[in-house]
Amino acid sequence: MTTIAAANRPSGSVRGRPSPTRWAQRLLFVGLFVYFLLPMVAVILYSLATRWTAHILPDGYTLDWWSRVFSDPTVVGAFATTLVLATLTAILDIALVVPAAYWARVRNPRIRPVIELAAAIPFALPYLVIGFALLQFAGVVAPGLQGTFPLLVLGHAAIAFPFLYWAVDGAMAAAGIERLSEAAETCGASPFQIVRRVVLPNIMPGVVSGALLAFATSFGEFAMVQTVARGVYTIPIWSAEAIRSYSGETGSFNRLAVVTTISFMVLFVLSAIVVYWNRGQTVQLLPGARAIEQREGK
Amino acid sequence: MSGVTLERVTKTFGQVRALDDVSFEIQSGELLALLGPSGCGKTTLLRSVAGLEKPTSGRIVIAGRDVTFVPTRERPIGMVFQSYALFPNLSVRQNIAFPLEVRKRPAAEVARRVDELLDLVRLVPQADRYPNQISGGQAQRCALGRALAPSPEVLLLDEPLSALDALVRTRLRDEIRRVQQLVKTTAIYVTHDQSEAMAIADRVAVMNHGRVEQIASPPVLYESPSTNFSAAFVGSRNALELPVRSGRVGMGGAFEVAAPVGALEKAVVFFRPEDVEVSADGPGQPATVEVKIFLGSITRLHLVTDIDGAPARFYADMPSRQANAFPPETRVFVRVDPADLKAFSTE
Repeated sequence: MTTIAAANRPSGSVRGRPSPTRWAQRLLFVGLFVYFLLPMVAVILYSLATRWTAHILPDGYTLDWWSRVFSDPTVVGAFATTLVLATLTAILDIALVVPAAYWARVRNPRIRPVIELAAAIPFALPYLVIGFALLQFAGVVAPGLQGTFPLLVLGHAAIAFPFLYWAVDGAMAAAGIERLSEAAETCGASPFQIVRRVVLPNIMPGVVSGALLAFATSFGEFAMVQTVARGVYTIPIWSAEAIRSYSGETGSFNRLAVVTTISFMVLFVLSAIVVYWNRGQTVQLLPGARAIEQREGK
Repeated sequence: MSGVTLERVTKTFGQVRALDDVSFEIQSGELLALLGPSGCGKTTLLRSVAGLEKPTSGRIVIAGRDVTFVPTRERPIGMVFQSYALFPNLSVRQNIAFPLEVRKRPAAEVARRVDELLDLVRLVPQADRYPNQISGGQAQRCALGRALAPSPEVLLLDEPLSALDALVRTRLRDEIRRVQQLVKTTAIYVTHDQSEAMAIADRVAVMNHGRVEQIASPPVLYESPSTNFSAAFVGSRNALELPVRSGRVGMGGAFEVAAPVGALEKAVVFFRPEDVEVSADGPGQPATVEVKIFLGSITRLHLVTDIDGAPARFYADMPSRQANAFPPETRVFVRVDPADLKAFSTE
């Protein structure tokens, strides 16, 4: 109700003279914006610079680095590998985590502590250690998998799943999935119908944002790729090599800037899509959603 | 016949007996209210009929079919929850259609039945709204429509009015009763509110500690509670613990009756505030008006009297006009007709 009251207030008194708190808020916002985006802007400029020496802006601009990157099969291949790896990781995590979270919440709450504990492991142990353990384990149960792309997908799924689990579990709590599930059961729905028609539609925002986090985790991961599958050539590996092998030749860092910009764009665009797409659903789940809709004049 | 029969249903959670040997029958078309304090097992009982809880032992029969081991989705039931539990991703119309669609009924039949139900629960204008766009009362009417859509043998209502405000509550209560009598479904209605139970039910089952204390029609329950607990729980009653002397229990000059069987030292005596006769000049037990509460057409007096040197407090209700004669601090005399008393042993 307060939101409606605020919106109905004569706008003149609000816009007339911003209060000191309002100025502080703006300052803070601008400060954060600069802190987060300035390095990114610098990288983008660098990817377009001919040379960048003594001035605040580059000496000249060119698209040469961009065209060189796009015509380099190694970089393009690394991008393709990274995208496939991150996509498979996200899909595998969805397939594993959504049923597990549903089961832990609705059918058997006693397994919740186990999942919660498992979700803490990727933060407690370095990826390098997890990767090495995975390699050892694969050596015991399936030696053929050692060093392969599928094992890497499994490894990334293992380190990225907590983000998806938390997002999905939170979405289930917000939607009251236990109640809805029981209600659907009394309506005569089978377990499959419950998941497809009731659970999934109501937790979609959580699944999508969790999957994006899992995707991003895999997209930028370096240590596990190095340990688990040395033959797999991803963007983080390419970037590390570009830095390591630098010996003063022109353009090497400019190309790195191009790749970094593209990586950033991929994640940024995906996030923007998720935020835009989730907008309606997130609002629906929140208490007071009606007040917001009234304010928006729906 | 489409009634419900429970035979010796028991449910234990670890050491706790949530349901203790519960048996009763509900006639076809009857609305039975399960009334009791929180934790008395009424919700567990309802959930057992729904199949959401599995009884530890006993049998549940719906419409002549033993459903004890039948999963929830195959039971001929419809359920309304306290928290509405509408599907937020579906509109009012789609919520009501849901039970029919999961049963794979033909689309034309679904559409016809949903229209019928929208009309029945008076939600035609809101049919295409989503649950977050309707009021609590409308949400619960939608839930009622959804529960009734597949024409269940039994309608189960789990405190359907608890989340609503007072005004909507009475309206919806009468609405539920109207709809239930119209479609002639057998219904079980769980509530902790005795006036709600009295107003809506054909019979009321009073529950306590996992047992059914008494099953009776509202007037019978109100006039002659058969146990100490149902007397205390039903109606707003005075309950006084009084000493037993030579087989009789009384409150000075106000009343005296034979002590209940088994009561040697003390007995609990129940009487309703409206049955207390208050007069300015006897006969009866002297008492003092402590507080006077105006409740509209009636006024409630808080009275205190002396029993064996200890104060005993109770209420008396009377028409407000008559209460003008008894301001606070007044000395009065009280009497209760022995026919209006219920005495129970405390042992």
